[in-house]
Parts: sequence; C-alpha cells; structure tokens
Amino acid sequence: FRLNIEGLLVYFPYDYIYPEQYSYMLELKRTLDAKGHGVLEMPSGTGKTISLLSLIVAYQKAYPLEVTKLVYCSRTVPEIEKVVEELRKLMDYYAKQTGVKNDFLALALSSRKNLCIHPEVSSLRFGKEVDGKCHSLTASYIRAQHHSNPSQPVCQFFEEFDAVGRQVPIPPGIYNLDDLKDFGRRKGWCPYFLARYAILHANIVVYSYHYLLDPKIADLVSKELAKKSVVVFDEAHNIDNVCIDSMSVNITRRTLDRCQTNVETLQNTISRIKETDAAKLREEYRRLVEGLKEANVARETDIYLSNPVLPDEILQEAVPGSIRTAEHFVGFIKRFLEYLKARLRIHHVVQESAPQFLKDIYEKVCIDRKPLRFCAKRLRSLLRTLEIADIADFSAITLISHFATLVSTYSKGNLYDYDFHQKTPTIANPVLHFSCMDPSIAIKPVFGRFQSVIITSGTLSPLDIYPRILDFRPVTMASFTMTLARTCLCPLIVGRGNDQVAMTSKFETREDFAVIRNYGNLLLEMSAIVPDGIVAFFTSYIYMENIVASWYEQGILENIQRNKLIFIETQDAAETSMALEKYQEACENGRGAILLSVARGKVSEGIDFVHHFGRAVIMFGVPYVYTQSRILKARLEYLRDQFQIRENDFLTFDAMRHAAQCVGRAIRGKTDYGLMIFADKRYARADKRGKLPRWIQEHLTDGSLNLTIDETVQLSKHFLRQMAQPFRREDQLGLSLLTLEQLQSEDMLQKIAQIAQQA
Amino acid sequence: MRKRATVSGFTLFLWRIWELLSLTVSSLSEEVLLVVKRVRQRKQDGTLYLMAERIAWGPEGKDRFTVSHLYADIRCQKISPDGKAKIQLQLVLHTGESTTFHFANESTALKDRDATKELLQQLLPKFKKKANKELEEKNRMLQEDPVLFQLYKDLVVSQVISAEEFWANRLSLSSVEHSISNNNKQEVGISAAFLADIRPQTDGCNGLRYNLTTDIIESIFRTYPTVKQKYSENVPHNMTEKEFWTRFFQSHYFHRDRISTGLQDIFSECAKQDEKGLKSMVTQGVKNPMVDLLSLEDKTLDEGYGTATVPTTSNSSNKSLRENSNSAIIKRFNHHSAMVLAAGLRRADAPSDQASETSSTDGNSRDSDFFQPPLKKVKLQEAIEYDDLQGDSGRKTISLNLKKSDRYSHGPTPLQSQHYTTSQDIITSISIIQHEMRSYKPRLTQVMSSSAASSAIIALSPGGVLMQGGAQQTINQLVPTDVQSELKHLYMAAGELLRHFWSCFPVSTPFLEEKVVKMKSNLEKFQVTKLRPFQEKIQRQYLSTNLTGHLEEMLQAAYNKFQAWQTRRMMRKT
Repeated sequence: FRLNIEGLLVYFPYDYIYPEQYSYMLELKRTLDAKGHGVLEMPSGTGKTISLLSLIVAYQKAYPLEVTKLVYCSRTVPEIEKVVEELRKLMDYYAKQTGVKNDFLALALSSRKNLCIHPEVSSLRFGKEVDGKCHSLTASYIRAQHHSNPSQPVCQFFEEFDAVGRQVPIPPGIYNLDDLKDFGRRKGWCPYFLARYAILHANIVVYSYHYLLDPKIADLVSKELAKKSVVVFDEAHNIDNVCIDSMSVNITRRTLDRCQTNVETLQNTISRIKETDAAKLREEYRRLVEGLKEANVARETDIYLSNPVLPDEILQEAVPGSIRTAEHFVGFIKRFLEYLKARLRIHHVVQESAPQFLKDIYEKVCIDRKPLRFCAKRLRSLLRTLEIADIADFSAITLISHFATLVSTYSKGNLYDYDFHQKTPTIANPVLHFSCMDPSIAIKPVFGRFQSVIITSGTLSPLDIYPRILDFRPVTMASFTMTLARTCLCPLIVGRGNDQVAMTSKFETREDFAVIRNYGNLLLEMSAIVPDGIVAFFTSYIYMENIVASWYEQGILENIQRNKLIFIETQDAAETSMALEKYQEACENGRGAILLSVARGKVSEGIDFVHHFGRAVIMFGVPYVYTQSRILKARLEYLRDQFQIRENDFLTFDAMRHAAQCVGRAIRGKTDYGLMIFADKRYARADKRGKLPRWIQEHLTDGSLNLTIDETVQLSKHFLRQMAQPFRREDQLGLSLLTLEQLQSEDMLQKIAQIAQQA
Repeated sequence: MRKRATVSGFTLFLWRIWELLSLTVSSLSEEVLLVVKRVRQRKQDGTLYLMAERIAWGPEGKDRFTVSHLYADIRCQKISPDGKAKIQLQLVLHTGESTTFHFANESTALKDRDATKELLQQLLPKFKKKANKELEEKNRMLQEDPVLFQLYKDLVVSQVISAEEFWANRLSLSSVEHSISNNNKQEVGISAAFLADIRPQTDGCNGLRYNLTTDIIESIFRTYPTVKQKYSENVPHNMTEKEFWTRFFQSHYFHRDRISTGLQDIFSECAKQDEKGLKSMVTQGVKNPMVDLLSLEDKTLDEGYGTATVPTTSNSSNKSLRENSNSAIIKRFNHHSAMVLAAGLRRADAPSDQASETSSTDGNSRDSDFFQPPLKKVKLQEAIEYDDLQGDSGRKTISLNLKKSDRYSHGPTPLQSQHYTTSQDIITSISIIQHEMRSYKPRLTQVMSSSAASSAIIALSPGGVLMQGGAQQTINQLVPTDVQSELKHLYMAAGELLRHFWSCFPVSTPFLEEKVVKMKSNLEKFQVTKLRPFQEKIQRQYLSTNLTGHLEEMLQAAYNKFQAWQTRRMMRKT
C-alpha cells in the first residue's frame, strides 16, 4: 500500500507492515534529507531490505536530482540476488499501482565467475582461473594481434559487446545475475562487461562490498559513480574487517621466490623486445615522461592489474625518473626484492612501523620513498607494454609492488611485522605481515565521496563504536527492536552444569574435563527436546575439534546420535557445503539433525537457519578472537592510542557481535521461533550482556541468567510448547503487524516513535 | 470410540482364530526340519522340533506339543555365552514372554544348540517381516473398512471361503492401491546410533563382547554397502560369519579414530571406498545454491592479501597425530550421517533418485546453466517471502497438468463414428447458438393448444402415463430396513464371490482351473447357506416376490459360464 512518510509518498509492496519498518523508513528519510550518513540496527527478519528499497526508490522518484543512484552493497552472492528479487517485487508493485511502465534500470554486478557465458571460460571452477582466462582473451593487445592473425582466439561475446554494446543502452528493467546472462546470451554480448558499463548509468546497483571497499577493485569499477548516490552497506557488522583485509599484505618466502622468477621473465622479455621492437619501450618511456596517468590505449580489460588507492596529488604527478625506463624499473624491483629477502632471513620476531621500515630501506639499499609509491602503477604499465597475457602468473610481483606502494603511502596508522609460522619447529617459515590497523583508510573515500552512506545490520550493538572505528560522523544512529505478538525468541544463559561446575570456555578451564562433559550433556539434553534442527557454534575450529574428539571418547556423541544426526563443519568449504545440504535434508524429512559449527566461520556468516532448520542455537563459550596474535595486539594498541577505545571493550564488542550474529541466524522473521542458548557463565555479566543487540537483550530476564542444564531444559520445554500453538495473523494484527488504517491512528504513531532508540 | 475399539478388537480376535485354525490345519502335514532330542524345558526332558513354520517342543513320551511358537511370533533368540556350564537358547516373543530351552545332551549339547541357532537364524528373518506386515496390514484393512469387515464375516467366518482365499487378491490389490496413494509403505529408517548400540561389554576375562542382532547387521549393510560387499565376498568361503564380525570390530574401519595398523585389514578397502564416495559427494557439489559456501563469497581476496594467516601448504605433514585423528573423527561423523540419511531414502525413491542424480550431474556442469535457475529461483523466492506481510492471496492451488485438455473437458466419450468435436468446435457452435438465440422470434401463430400442452405435462409428471417406471422406486418403502440391509450384505458377498469366480477366466493355468472349480462350489454353497434361507425368510414375511431374482440371475450366469467352460474342456479332452 501507499505510505506517507513525512510528506514522501512511498509504495510498499505488501498489504501489511511491521511497525518497526515504518519507524525505520522514518529514520532513513531523515538521514537522506540531511544528506548525511546513518547507522541503523534492525533485527533480521523484520524486512529491512524491503523497507530500505521502498524508501530510497520513492526518494529517487520524488527527488530525481537529489539522489541519482542507489548503490546497495551486500556480502554474499545469494544476498545480492535476494536484494534484486525484492527490488523486482517492489518495481512490479509500482508498475501495477501507477500503471506506468518501470523506467528504472537496476542490476546486480558480480565477478566474472558468476557472469561469464563464454562456454570454455565459464566452465572453470575458480574465480581466479576465470579472471585469468578472460583476460587472456580480451586484453587489448591480444585483440590487436587477432586483427593481424585471426587464429589468435578472442572472446566473441566481448567483441560483440565492444562493437555495439556501448551505443545501445540496456533497456530499463531489473537485472539479476541470471537475467544479465540471459540478456547477454540473447544479444551475444558479454554480461560482465555489459554490467560494468551499465552501472554507470543505472539507477540502482547491487554488488558486493569489495567493489567499493577494496581499493584495488574500487579503482576500476566504482571510480566514476556519481557523487549524489546513496550507498547502503547491508549486513555491515563486519565492515571494519573487510576494510582491513583489503589493505593488508602477507609476504612469505614462497612469494619472494615466485617474484624472483617473475622478475627474470620480465628481464628476458624486456631484452627480447629491445632487440625486436625497441620502439615500443621508447613509446612507453615517452608516455611516462609526459606523465600520462593512464595510457590512451588502456581498455577497461587491461585494468585487471590494479592499483591501491593513492591520494590524488600523487596521481597527478609523473612517475619519477629513476624507474621510468623498463630496465631501471626491473633493477629497482630486484633491489627491493633482495632487501625483503634479507629481512626474511632473520630468526626472531621484529615489529616496526612503516616509517621505521622506510628509514631502514633507505639506509640499507638506498631506496627512496617516492619511487616505492609508484611501484604498483609502474609495474602495471610495464606489464601492459610487454604484452604478457597470463597475468595470474604475475600475482607475486604484483603483490610486492602493492606492498611497496602501501607501505610508502600510508605511513601513518599502519604497522607491519614479521611473524614466524613455526608449525614445524626446525624450519623457520617467516612471514612478513603488512597489516593495516585502521579500517577507516579504506572506507574514507566512500564517506568522503558519497552524499549518504547507510550502515545497517541486524547486529550493530553497541552502535557508537562503528562511527569511532570507521571515523565518520553519522547524522542518525538508531536501533530498532522487534515488535512481537508472542515472544518468539528465548535467550537463555547457561552458566553451570547439573553438578554446579561453572560452564565457560575461558582459557584456563576450557580443557577441563567437567566443562567439556557439561557442554556435551547440554547438547544431549537439548537434542532430546528440540524438534528438527539444532545449530551449535564453538569459539574456534581447534576447540571444536578437541571437544568433538573428547565427546566421541566419552560416548556422548553416540547418545546424541540416538536423537539426531550429527553434521560438522570442516575447514574444507566444499565438504561443509555438502554437510550443510545433508543437514537441511535431515531437517526436512523429519529426522532432525545437529550442525556443529564455528563462530566466525563461513556458516556463521552466510547461512540462515530459517524455521525448522534452526529451532535452537547453542553458543558454546564466548567467541573471543585469538588474543595472543601480535597483529591483533598491535591493532588494539592502535585503537587505544588513536580512538581511545579500551582493549577489553573492543574485544568484548567483537566477541559479542559474533555471538549475536550466530544466535541471530535462527530467527528470520516473526513467524519463526527459536531458542538462543548462551553456554558460558560470562554472558551473564553486565558488560557482556549490555553489548548484545537490544532486540535480544529485551528478552533476557533476570531469571534466565545463570541456569543449570536442568533448568534450561525446563524453560526450553515450556517455550517450545508455547511456540507449537497455532499462530495466526489475527494474533499479530495491531501489535506487530499493521494495516494501513491501524498505522494511521494517532495511538500507533506514538507507539512507533518509541521503537527507535537513538544511540 | 470405545465401542469401536472393542469391535475392532473383537475382529482381530475373530480372524486370528480363523487364521490360526487354517494354519493348524495346514500344518498337520508340515515338514520337520530339525529334531533335537534331550532338550529340557521347565526342568522337563523332551524333544525340540523345528518345522517349516513353527518351533515346537513336546515332553518325553507324549505325542503332543506343550510349547509351540510360530516363527512369526518370535522376536529374537538369545544364546548363553560360550563359557557357561548350561547351554541354553532363549526365544523372546513379540508379546514379551520368553521360553528357554536347555540342551542337556552332554556330548553334543553345544553342537545341537548351534545347529538350532543357525537354522533359526535363517528362518526367523523370513517370517518376521512377512508375518508382521501382513497381520498389521490385514488388521488395518478390516478396521478401516466396515464393508470389508462385513464381507469377511459373511464369507470367512461362515466358512464359505477360507481366509487365505479371501485375502489372496485383497492384499495384492491393496498394495497396488497403496503404492498409488502413498507411495508404498514408508521404509523404516536407520537409527543414527546403531553403532552405539553395539557397545562392547567386557565379559570379565579380558575380552570384549559385542551383541549383534539381525537388525544391526542390516543397518550396517544398508548404511555401508561396501561392508556388505565384503561380507558376500568372504562369508562363508573365506571365513565364518563370526570371524567376519570379529574382524570387523577389530578393524581400523570400525575404530576410525585409531590410526590404521595396516597389514591385512580386509576393511581398509572399504575405508578407501568410503573416502572415494565422500569425495565424489563433495565434488558433485550441492544443488541448493543458498548453502553453497564455495560460491558464497563474491570476490575472494587474492592470495597474499588479508590479515588471516596464510594456510600452510603442506598441512598433512606438520599436523600432529592427534589433530589428524580428530579431523578423521569429524569426517567420519559427516560421512556416517550422510550414509544413514541416504540409506533411509535410497530404497524409497530409487528411480526418482536416479533421475535426479543424472540431472544433478549435468546440472552441475556449468555449461548447462539452463537447468539451474528454476531451483535457484524457487529458493530465492522462498528466501524473500514474508508470509505474514502478504495479504490473503488465497490458498496456493496446484495447477492441473493436462496433457490433453480436450479429454478433460469432455470426459471419456464413446468414440462415435468420425464425429469428434474439439473444444474449438463447441465454442463456435455455442457462439452460433447464441447468435441465433439473439435473433430468435417466436412464431406465435403455430403454437400448441393449451389443452394439449397441459395433458402432455400431466403425462410427464410423476404418476403420469409416461412416468410408470417411477413406481418401482417405492420398493424401498415396501421392504423393512433389516431385510434391506441383509439384502445389501448378500449382494456384497455374492459380488465378492463372483469377482473371484470371474477373475479365473480365461482359465489358463492348472491353478486357475482348480480355483474356478472351487469357486463354483463356493457359489453353490453360498446359494444354499445364505441365499436360500433369505428367500424363505422373505416368503414367510409375504414380501413382494422377486427381491432375489437378480442375484439368482447373476449366479445362473456364472453357472452357465462354468458349464460352457466345462463342456468345452471335456470336448477338448476327448
């Protein structure tokens, strides 16, 4: 139906609405009006996505000059596709209500692996192979060769697109990944490049975080997006880690060895070309002298090798003279490589900041900071000039060049150190970690460039920490609760076993026999009373392995098997996928199953356990990050110094957002229900409890804080019996589900005002 | 409710008796498979007989059995452990009672017992399923279907036909029906913990004892087909059954967490095959794109980027032994659960599974992307649906899948010469009629006179000249209800018998020949014992004459057929 949100006409494609959705849209509208950034927390399963889309699309229609584009970032491919489907639903509704044909262009963008339709290339399994193969068919010099020598294979889809695809705009509509592929097949155009081209004039773009946050990719894909865009980061609770990951580099001896061979190949190619085609190198030199930022011949396919973001002033400068000729540059890289090798030869842990590193390198091998900065860019230019097709091979040297650029550019706020992987004590396997301490570096251009950035997720508590670690000023920060007609979630904190031994995954006691047994008993008892699926999360993979082994020895697992089948996440993604599918199958056919999984693992991040797939989630222990790691310590120090965030606060925040993420997997809507069992007595403490999202905290009563296993079983039984009663629409109406009339009543509007809690 | 329960209980009782009677009769001449002398039961010496369908024991010097159990009633047998002084064998019945036989012949006691055990082991499983299923099935049918129950009473209890004959084509009929309606009876799945049920117990003298039942063995075979294969390869020519299982339990295969000692473990091959199976399952990938973790991430970080520690390249070599065994356990659990799940489904939808497998194999090869979207679409739609936000969109209906919609809208019509109207024809003709009706003008000058019209109406009203046939309807007012219901029963019984009779034609086998003769005599018996008394009863009540006329006609038709068949047969013989 149609809503009036502070004067904005919003089409909402359902007959009913949750009160919190209305409230959410209200806050969102205010954020957009103020042209600022926002942080909004709303539980999953309350229709966050559709609220976002409805409002922003309405806004775009009402003020086409204020907001020209919506960039919706999500994390996984299924999420992206889900968003597009919801959008399709909304647009269909628009078309039906207004009778006007939809004139919006919305599309999803994903990597080549998901979009390629070339029969040979798309049959490759790994994204990297697909990218490499695609590049070897579409690079500009390959195509140039094809002109003179038609036997050189090229991708006909790309050729077709390049010939005509750009002139004809893609007709308005909603294009999901499969739709793009269909469209591409019909026209004979490459869907990937079509999509990349089309996002520039699309009204709505849905893609993954990396296209915006990873500077190497963002530089290629999203550089030209309009300033008047609204950017939404959905499921953003981990956004800081994504930022950090994209700016960090690890270098091992193997990398260096491979880099060495890369350098040799380069040298050989250069000397060969010099003999045959010296003009080409001279041409490159000339270009660099002229300070042309990008070569004219650069087609978008060539930007496969990419450059970390550089501050604008550097981009304007010309490449310094010392590395301008090809030989000089290779010599320069060789020197740098030798230096790194020397550094990796040491046998103790070193930790230093970037300026220290730069100083050291200047003293030892006389490498200046400035040429280092241009390393990545120079290498890219060189590789293009040398016409080396298979870029995948050059990943090592690319990595080194990125490292050089990063270390010399972001001296402030970055630390790097050496770490020894000493799985085998005799052979030292030193690793050079360059780790970015500050997530705000990667996201800063996003906040700076775009008019509104919305960060939203089901679990963002405590809200105020995100603006601090990402270094931005939001205009709205709000947390919404879930209005419920029946309490369909039941968080319980189990603190001790029936023998009164405290249950905790604390480091000192985690190997304790009694704790492990109690954990086992808890799972056993729950497996007997919970219908269908149970998901259990452990704090780490190793911990899970140990516990499973000792449960096996004690025969606990066998007893659990009497009630349900057991599936376990492994470190192998394919194996886990199979286990997951079997798990769902077992839930589906009524046998019931248990999935043992790991917090921070792939399952906890990307898989939902709706309805009977997860009737109970058990969180064994508090999922603290491994605190002994030097990188983490450095980051904590940095947080303390730069943002005044205490180490403990951050660790607890991090642990609790993962715990909340895990238990939140079970509730995906108001008709869903599930138990959330926190099996660690530490959860009962105020500092932990207080960091859970509000919509979980609300239902934690004092009576459920430090339960024994028996008490847990009693409460769970009671809860499950209640939930098993029929639940009809009438029960919800007026409370957690509103019709238009109900929404318009004065009473309700007042109530709705209370849903949002400003942080 | 209670009344119904007692009735059905009574039924059960009744036909049990009949079944038993028929069994006893048939077992008079049953084959004796094994006779064991000097077997004590309740401190009494006697002889144990194992016969084709039951086990029986009679005390010394008497020629009747004091103990007799049908194999079908026996749940399991237990034997005393090897070292014990008393050599015994215990039979546990479904009712929970048990009978213990003590083999008392000193020299051969052990051999006797083992022979008995072996034979029972072969016999019991055969009867177990069949008997149980059949009894249950019959019971269920009688309880659910009062008409059938009545028929049963009429025919079997009054000894017109035997119970076996009665059920002979009932059961097969019903199983066919079942397979149509709910896809056969659901197979009982396998308990995930069946391996746990064979927890070894120490027997006190430094050994382990495993209790194996046929159920567990079947579970093992069904879950691990490779073990079954090994079993059929090795038993009994290479080793005895006992040896096989002993090795099984000793093997690394059973104790997957122990690191293999290698040597001549016949199960190492099984382990390898399992590994292969697991691998193929993994490489086959998952059908549901929403749980495919491999394609979850859109853009993975390139190697060398990110804060996560670099995965070590040679992970197997530098893992500790314990870690290795731990991950082996995890793998094993995943595999075990998958196998248990698969075993439960395997037989139920073997053909459809085959189909899905083939489709999945090519659905996974990425060049046939055309196959993938439907499932993906469905899953996506499911994922974005909020059923409580949606208005009542009406109940989801199943769309009718018609191959020939013409046939659906016309129903089966007799094929009339060449005139076959398609729906198109009908639509056009309707439109023509409509068109004509629109331009219809009554010609008022040429209508019938009112008197003629009214007389025609009278003739067509009930009681009129043209409606004489309606008078017959009154028969159900003439006859009292008890007679009516009796007549109904008679019709049903006769119908059943006639069905049996007519199903014998064409008489192609000697068995059918025999049956048709028997059925004819059954029909005659029915006429004498059931129909005649009924006729007499009606006559006594002076009811309108020919209530049973039609019945008799039907019987007569059957007799005629029989006569004709018999004469023809005689002719052929001579």
